[in-house]
Amino acid sequence: MAKHERYQNRIELLQGTLDMLILQTLSWGAQHGYGIGQAIRAGSGDVLQVETGSLYPALHRLEKQGWIKSEWRNSEHNQRAKYYQLTAAGKKQLTSEYSRWSRMSAAIAGLMNPGESEGQA
Amino acid sequence: MSLWKETLRRLAYLGRRSRFDADLDTEVEFHIETRADELARAGMPRPTALAQARREFGSPARMAEETRSAWQFRWLEDLAADLHYAARAFRRNPAFAATAIACLALGIGANTTIFSIAAEVLFSQPSVRDPYSLVRVDIGGNSASPVREYEFLRDAHTFPGLAGENEEMETNWRDSDNTYRLSVVRVTDNFFDVTGIPVALGRPIQPGDSDRVVLTYGFWQRRLGGAPDVIGRKLLLDGRIDTVSAVLPRDHRTVTGFGFSPDLYAPVTDPKTYVTLYARLEPGTTRLAALSRLKPACQELDRAYPDGNHKWANNLHVSAVSGIERIDTEHELMRPVAGFFAVLMVVVGLVLLIACANVASLLLARASSRSHELAVRLSIGAGRGRIVRQLLAESLLLSACGTGAGLAINIGLTTLLSRIQLPLPIPIQFLIQPDWRLLAYAAAVALVCSLAASLAPAVKGTGVGISAMLKHGEHQLGRHVWTLRNVLVVGQLAASIVLLCAGFLFLRNLVNASAMSPGFDIEHTVWAYMRLVPESYRDPAKTRGLVDAAVERLRSLPGVETAAIARVVPLNNNMRRGTEVSTDLNSHGLHVEFHINYVGPGYFQAMQIPIVTGREFLPADRKGAPRVAILNQNLARRVFGAVDPARHFVRFGQGETILVAGVAKNSKYFSLGEENALAYYEPYDQSPGPVADLHFLVRATGRPEPLIPGINTSLGQLDPTASLEIKPMSKALVFAMLPSRVGAAILGSMGMLGLLLASVGLYGVLLYSVSRRIREIGLRVALGATPAGILRLVLRQSAVLSAAGIGIGMALAVFAVRPLARFLSPEVRPADLMNFVVVGAVLAAVALAATLSPAVRALRVDPVEALRHE
Amino acid sequence: MGERTIPELLPGTLYMLILRTLSGGPLHGYAIAKRVKETSHQGLVIEDGSLYPALNRMLVKGWLEAEWGISENHRKARFYRLTPEGRKQLDHEAEEFDRLVRAIQLVMRTA
Repeated sequence: MAKHERYQNRIELLQGTLDMLILQTLSWGAQHGYGIGQAIRAGSGDVLQVETGSLYPALHRLEKQGWIKSEWRNSEHNQRAKYYQLTAAGKKQLTSEYSRWSRMSAAIAGLMNPGESEGQA
Repeated sequence: MSLWKETLRRLAYLGRRSRFDADLDTEVEFHIETRADELARAGMPRPTALAQARREFGSPARMAEETRSAWQFRWLEDLAADLHYAARAFRRNPAFAATAIACLALGIGANTTIFSIAAEVLFSQPSVRDPYSLVRVDIGGNSASPVREYEFLRDAHTFPGLAGENEEMETNWRDSDNTYRLSVVRVTDNFFDVTGIPVALGRPIQPGDSDRVVLTYGFWQRRLGGAPDVIGRKLLLDGRIDTVSAVLPRDHRTVTGFGFSPDLYAPVTDPKTYVTLYARLEPGTTRLAALSRLKPACQELDRAYPDGNHKWANNLHVSAVSGIERIDTEHELMRPVAGFFAVLMVVVGLVLLIACANVASLLLARASSRSHELAVRLSIGAGRGRIVRQLLAESLLLSACGTGAGLAINIGLTTLLSRIQLPLPIPIQFLIQPDWRLLAYAAAVALVCSLAASLAPAVKGTGVGISAMLKHGEHQLGRHVWTLRNVLVVGQLAASIVLLCAGFLFLRNLVNASAMSPGFDIEHTVWAYMRLVPESYRDPAKTRGLVDAAVERLRSLPGVETAAIARVVPLNNNMRRGTEVSTDLNSHGLHVEFHINYVGPGYFQAMQIPIVTGREFLPADRKGAPRVAILNQNLARRVFGAVDPARHFVRFGQGETILVAGVAKNSKYFSLGEENALAYYEPYDQSPGPVADLHFLVRATGRPEPLIPGINTSLGQLDPTASLEIKPMSKALVFAMLPSRVGAAILGSMGMLGLLLASVGLYGVLLYSVSRRIREIGLRVALGATPAGILRLVLRQSAVLSAAGIGIGMALAVFAVRPLARFLSPEVRPADLMNFVVVGAVLAAVALAATLSPAVRALRVDPVEALRHE
Repeated sequence: MGERTIPELLPGTLYMLILRTLSGGPLHGYAIAKRVKETSHQGLVIEDGSLYPALNRMLVKGWLEAEWGISENHRKARFYRLTPEGRKQLDHEAEEFDRLVRAIQLVMRTA
């Protein structure tokens, strides 16, 4: 249980990462908040469990910046839910976030395992 | 585990803080220089490189702060900051702080003082080596045993060390032409060895010494002027020359305890002395183990001395000498004393609670006036916990100051108490010294006060909705009556009712005791206590001769109506006997316990105790003449029923028959509060002797005081080696009145203190309420309200609070004062309605006084000003 | 491309990177920052203002030890080195970070 909490903390700190994961999820189609959380969890092999406490503020933030938009719909169980979907600006943001994240994690990986990188300067 | 190591590392940092800053500076400089080197190698001129490197590094101050904070104990730094802030706030508002601290000082001062006294009386250790391996040994159900029996047990080596002492002894000290009676503890020659009592000067009494004495510090200072050459000085005690071999330290506490403070220690000289036994046990021996060793030894003792009328092997007790453990043992005095202190602790606890309630109330008032500030702080993100911590820090600061002031009061009072010599027949001096126990207790009390006083305001202060606070809507339009502050005041008033009831009871008890007649005359009587040197009066005939001569001399003095000798002086010392009595009318034995006195002819006349039937003792009732006795009315009724006992006979066990000469009216014998006591008198001449303590009772025709010098000279001439203590009987009764005086003084003053604190609370609440309603009052006045109407407004709130306080307080008091009955004389009944009426009236009067100023304030409201008041 | 504009590293990873850098041997503060920058090809920059607080926090936690020595440019400098607890922490953090990154990659690569 504790290990998973640590990941959650990491995701909170990795604010940009959470945004990126949400945008990625929404790139597969519109989804409501709960579904986004589920998708991230399933997609990461149960490793990343996003707390609602961080998810909804992130959604709010992303919406404010215009990268996602929301509308009320009926869910698959016929309940009213707020569905989010990617905007065009959001698609662009996703690409740039991912590339930035890739660079960063590559850099870190490079530092952590210097043998695998292209060689030292 | 890692947290522990981390804490250690942080502690290590505390020790090197200044070096840390210097080191960090060096490190940062190095960093910047190295960067500058790099830039310079790339071609930049050195000064520019340096400047660039510095710019890149950023603000060193902030970084230093953040680096330091990695090492600090977060909570400690926060606390320091909070306290600093609190101190500034109090400086800005000194009236608030002063009131709070004063209330706490009074409450904590009273509380810690009672604690100090209780700790000294109940828990103190005697000044011996290793008190836990020293025990008191009682054999044969007696608290003391004859020297012969002691020596047997000592030589049987039942214990590694066995010593004996008798603390009830006296000695006549002849110093040039004056003879003084001193209180002496007679000890066996190994006493100091076994107990390991330390001395300040010289060396103590050792085995083999028979004429060495050890002085107490007080005696050395008071009577010998603290002379530095005291060791080796010779004192004439009871006709013997003894040498001073040591002086005890100032803080010496006897094995007897209770603040008993004799003049000196001397060796046992008379083999017929009874001594209380003290044994030193091997380390690790329990009292139970000691007891099991004692039994066979005492059985041996009984076999060795079959003559005595004691079976020493029965009723064995081994009890502790030190502090807390003593309370368990059947020390006769302990239970009621411990009980009294328990009551006192509850009382001062209540006083302290009332004081804390005042502080809480003040903090609450302050919290609501700071509500705006708090709301702003909350809204910009200061956690609620953080604000609560700050409020706690404030109350901690108040408590710390209050405790400091309270301790000052404590030390002042206890120092005063240590100087007082209580008017008791046995010398008692309390030795109350502030020590770690007091500090620990005071710290605990301060912490509790701080929490108690701050919790409510802290929770309430941060609980109210932010928007409500920002709107500053604290308009009490009379609807919200039961605010927290009001509840606190009601609580305070209720508590002070309970305290007042207790205090009032004890006051009534004192009045009652003062009015009580002892049954004998105290207005015209003089008591002359003449103590002879026992060694000079081994022959009872010699003593009798002296007594006769003395009585005759006394009677011939001008202004003397009559004089008599007595063995016991009522209410000052006491002898009792319990035995089977039978009469000539009823040979079936009846078990009775009675006070016994041996008195000479003229005693009853001197004491003005009427003889109801029969006669007084006559000179003819001498030794050798038929035995006679006088009974008091209670004893006569018990033994003879309705029959007049005069000229009938009584018999104790299988003893002689004794003629009942008469019946004396009942009077008091042991304490003023006793009831239905049985008493028995025999002629002084027929008493078993010899006795060195002679008590003469002289009846004056007029006032007794002028007779004293004459009596002094008269008796002094008979035997200059005898010590004399002469006083009017009224002074002698001071001892009898002492418990009621002490009780009344302490509980009465605590009641008053509680009332004072509660009234301050009430005053504060009313004043605050008026100030909050200024706008409303102004409105009402503008709309035509009369002064009477405004007054009613204030009075109504005061009345509601007082009534609630009185009601709840009375209900509690009914139950709370019941256990006090055992400290009071029977005529004073706790449940008496009058008590409650008086107390209620007192509180109502004080509450009214507290209402005056706020009421005046309300009346003075100028409507124009008020409507502008926000 | 000069990624000097990349903001501060994430707090948790900062410890991990410092620990890794020191796993090769003791270094002084400046050298640590430089090594990180170079080994990551300018991808990762530790802001000077965060370096020393982080190093001190690690000292408090017992992951590092420090002592004064002489640097390569003959100046007095403070050298940091890993403790056994530090090595354990490094392994632990690295493992967790790996798991995290793989999990995120999983989500990002799913299409």
